[in-house]
Amino acid sequence: MDFLAEGFRRAWGLLVAGDSEVYGIALLTLRVAVVATVISCAAGLPLGYFLATRRFWGRRAALTVVNTALAFPTVVVGLLLYGLLSRQGPLGSLGWLYTWQAIVVGDVVLALPIAAALSAAAIQGVDPRIRRTAETLGAGAWRTAWTVAREARFALAAVITAAFGQVVAEIGAAMIVGGNIRGSTRTLTTAVALYTAQGDFGLALALGLVLLLLALVVNIALQMLQGRGHA
Amino acid sequence: MLELRGVRHRYEGRVVLDLEQFSVPRTAAVAVVGHNGAGKSTLLRLLALLEAPTEGQVFLNGTAVPRRPAASLRRRVTLVEQRPVLFRGTVRENLEYGLRVREIGQAAANGIIADVVERLGLEPLLSRRRHELSDGEVQRVAVARALALRTDVLLLDEPASSADRAAAGALYRALAAERAARPFAVCIASHQLEDAYRWADDIRALADGRLSPVTPENLFRVELPVGDGVKSVRVGSIDIVVMTDRAGPAVVAVPPTDIFVSREPLPSSARNVFKGRVTGMAIEHRGAGVHVRADMGGVELVAAVTAEAARDLALTPGAPVVFSFKATAVQVF
Repeated sequence: MDFLAEGFRRAWGLLVAGDSEVYGIALLTLRVAVVATVISCAAGLPLGYFLATRRFWGRRAALTVVNTALAFPTVVVGLLLYGLLSRQGPLGSLGWLYTWQAIVVGDVVLALPIAAALSAAAIQGVDPRIRRTAETLGAGAWRTAWTVAREARFALAAVITAAFGQVVAEIGAAMIVGGNIRGSTRTLTTAVALYTAQGDFGLALALGLVLLLLALVVNIALQMLQGRGHA
Repeated sequence: MLELRGVRHRYEGRVVLDLEQFSVPRTAAVAVVGHNGAGKSTLLRLLALLEAPTEGQVFLNGTAVPRRPAASLRRRVTLVEQRPVLFRGTVRENLEYGLRVREIGQAAANGIIADVVERLGLEPLLSRRRHELSDGEVQRVAVARALALRTDVLLLDEPASSADRAAAGALYRALAAERAARPFAVCIASHQLEDAYRWADDIRALADGRLSPVTPENLFRVELPVGDGVKSVRVGSIDIVVMTDRAGPAVVAVPPTDIFVSREPLPSSARNVFKGRVTGMAIEHRGAGVHVRADMGGVELVAAVTAEAARDLALTPGAPVVFSFKATAVQVF
């Protein structure tokens, strides 16, 4: 257990000293996580609303696909994206392989089903009379959706938290399409894996602590937002 | 002005509404009465343009309404559901909702809200939130929220179901005052026949999703035995003798005008004679008729008599009464 205690001491030292590598990796992780969460929620929440409220042919199949995508292995997503983004791939001309944008794409692919499936469940949990009432009072499609979403705000905040959690903790796709390049695509999770493999437990632990801290701060922020709501 | 033509509406394959034609004319006061599950709420949702009929068409002022009507079209009709919900926020914010949707300025909105608030006595509730209101109060707020929109057609599904007599009276008075100030069509689904007779110009009965060919009272869902001619069917605790060749599930109706009312059983050809006590009297909205409700041992029957006959027979709540009608008077559909 000594190595753990030593690791914590090292971690504390690096954090207090403001180690540039640690904070650089943390900032990149935060940037990737925020961009990917915003994109996946911006697309996933309306998709979830659509799946929850519209009756159309193939709706059940669409819900099954989205729910199945929740269990998509991250390394498989990484592998598929690698094929698409590599020089010979159909998206090779973008030149995104081994860039932070590639990690964002991988994270969006993984977080989008979470945002869509969980928000569909959240919207389905709202009393259907709310939507009918908004419509009969004359609301258009967007205002109706907003009114329903307001009623499900706690559940939708949890959806955003879950999507952020998926993105910030993801490693498989980030490793494959990001390449774990120092100063460029090294995120907290890929760095923890690397430094652990290299036996640098102190640095790995420091990065792990930052990762936990990030998750904690985001969760507290979302809880504070929820707490401001009234019935 | 608002009309359904050739409508056959299904839920999961089951026909819940089957109407050749149903219209709510401009400025009419229509009451739709019927048992629970008769299709009243479904009918109102179709009229409110919230659902498109599985078959058939809805017309507004003679123009066919598309399956997904634009908000501007929906804004001409509004519905208050039987168990209405309020949005999160205060009562005032709820009253403002539809006005904001219509982009009505704050000053005009304040005037409209003050009007409906006064009419329905909501002043003390304005800053409350939904969890601080009783069911009856929620219902009143929902009616006020709909009235504030000044739509061409107002649809109300059992608007007084959670209200006591006084609150229900206040609600109907508010409706009458609003209609006097600004004519608009109103269609109310209700199982309270007395209320319907009191204020509606036109009463229609729904039974099993279809318009009943007779007046809405004394409608019973029965299981007809196999056989021809005269048969006896159980309705609650009484047996009604009917004349029909039909068998299986059906609705039987006894037109109130075909019921002979007396204080004592009289010798006659009527095969159905029931003794009971008067439970209520309702004077018709138009005309001199009186609807006499009587409890015949757990089953309530309604008979129509003239005001004069009611007086002569000294019919008052609690008085003993005998209802007689012929088997051929009972309609089966």
